[in-house]
Amino acid sequence: MKNSISQIKKSLIEKKISVGELYDEYLAKAKSGNNNSFNLVIDRENNISSINDSQNRYDNGNPLPLDGIPLGIKDLFCTKGIRTTASSKILSNFIPNYESFVTQQLLNDGSIFIGKNNCDEFAMGSSNETSYFGPVINPWKNKNSQKDNLVPGGSSGGSAASVSEGSCVASMGTDTGGSIRQPASLCGIVGLKPTFGSCSRWGIVAFASSLDQAGPLTNCVEDAAYILNSINKHDFNDSTSSNHQREDYLIDINNSLEKKIKIGIPSDYLEDVSDDILNQIDNTKKALSKHGIEFVDVEFKTTEYALSTYYILAPAEASSNLARYDGVRYGVREDGESLDDIYLNSRTKGFGDEVTRRILIGAYVLSAGYYDAYYRQAQKVRRLIKNDFQRILNEVDFILTPTTPNEAFKIGDKLDPISMYKNDIYTVPTSLAGLPGISIPSGLSKNGLPLGVQFIGNYFEEKTLLQLAALAEKELSFNE
Amino acid sequence: MSDINIKRISYLAKLKLPSEKEEFYSNSLKDIIKWVDNLKKVDTSKTEPLHNVTEKTVSIRNDEVSKSNSVDDVLSNAPERAQNFFKVPKVVE
Repeated sequence: MKNSISQIKKSLIEKKISVGELYDEYLAKAKSGNNNSFNLVIDRENNISSINDSQNRYDNGNPLPLDGIPLGIKDLFCTKGIRTTASSKILSNFIPNYESFVTQQLLNDGSIFIGKNNCDEFAMGSSNETSYFGPVINPWKNKNSQKDNLVPGGSSGGSAASVSEGSCVASMGTDTGGSIRQPASLCGIVGLKPTFGSCSRWGIVAFASSLDQAGPLTNCVEDAAYILNSINKHDFNDSTSSNHQREDYLIDINNSLEKKIKIGIPSDYLEDVSDDILNQIDNTKKALSKHGIEFVDVEFKTTEYALSTYYILAPAEASSNLARYDGVRYGVREDGESLDDIYLNSRTKGFGDEVTRRILIGAYVLSAGYYDAYYRQAQKVRRLIKNDFQRILNEVDFILTPTTPNEAFKIGDKLDPISMYKNDIYTVPTSLAGLPGISIPSGLSKNGLPLGVQFIGNYFEEKTLLQLAALAEKELSFNE
Repeated sequence: MSDINIKRISYLAKLKLPSEKEEFYSNSLKDIIKWVDNLKKVDTSKTEPLHNVTEKTVSIRNDEVSKSNSVDDVLSNAPERAQNFFKVPKVVE
């Protein structure tokens, strides 16, 4: 099993390894990796003052919560002085002069960034195949066809692959419709999407502002709590950032849950799913039942509308957010005789196919004559979806679902956008409702590939959600 | 569903699709719009649109001046600049 943050910190405190040696160890893996999981790797020299400061804090006996921990950062977070591309041609030369709120918190807590993780272009994709820098390869192989390169999931595919291959201890990702949970599941690691409004979106390249949320991809649930403690803070620079009191997510993570727990399993999610997927739910149910946790069937009324709602709202917000890329203020400019030509050429040549497709969908559903029928109707159905979740969360404490409808598939296998969009069927509804969800690895498919289950909790109840996930993780013993 | 006028939509999005790609995007859009059309059968006559999912009041801060980006910072990524300005081709004759 890979080392957890607490194990690594213990080795650093006991001087079994230095911060510099630790960094070199992960850097070597990041540099020699064959999975294209990084767009950029940061050499030791460029992190030398952070490494030295961190080592000094260990030497003085007062290390910070994440001191010296090498992290990967999805290339969607603005990092001061470090190229930030959103895996797009149009931002391929962009060097931010400010740090995103979330990555600033991680730096304040002593972590050291090893590089920027590859991702789908502007986080639009479910397989990490839309990146301008090429697809990321899943470190796992199908045992029945070893030579095939599989997708890591997306859009935080580079983050998931790098944690899985061991080239960083944990990685920061973002989740709009499943982009943390889905790749975590396909790469056999933990992925947490906090409640919308928990972690500030300031400095994250915007995709769909009413859905985007930052969260960690980690080797274990406890590591997710470490990262969440650091990044879950109120920020005035994001008007949707909630200013409620945050809890310590780490302190009681291994304690048993205080009250008797009831978990709902949505029967409508399990229609027509494969035995591989059903087994994950059954195993999780069995593992937790011995702790006196009760399971009941629940049924959503809105599941069939979730993907449609998402594929109207997310592209609409994207087409508006991506209007800023015009070749004038930053990013790549393509020549043109007039200002209008510069806009047209820079955008047309700067965006890849999937991003172009989503901008077009967005422009269509927002255009005069279609706005009410599509965009406004989708916003109304979104409320019905949220109400549906609230109805069920009045009956149960948590919801258990598969994270994905299938195991990792071959690169290049899904060419039709709709079949790709269907990958997110279990994660999109949670995103629309803004609820927190965590995917943990639950077992292997017949082909020996990792699969995950998702626990969904109520708004801002990440603490109990993580406790439950830690218990399930222990019982399922995927990592052992 | 009405016909999709791909030229008009790409104009709205400030994109100049190469002619050989117009049909590709047009067909793709038609498929997706047809796929999301099932929302029309949902009765939302008594439902308000949802904009912000947590529906919390946005937090208000004091209006205090702070120093953030300098002009040089802001212009550091400009493809073309002239003194303290972004430079573009002449717009007015």
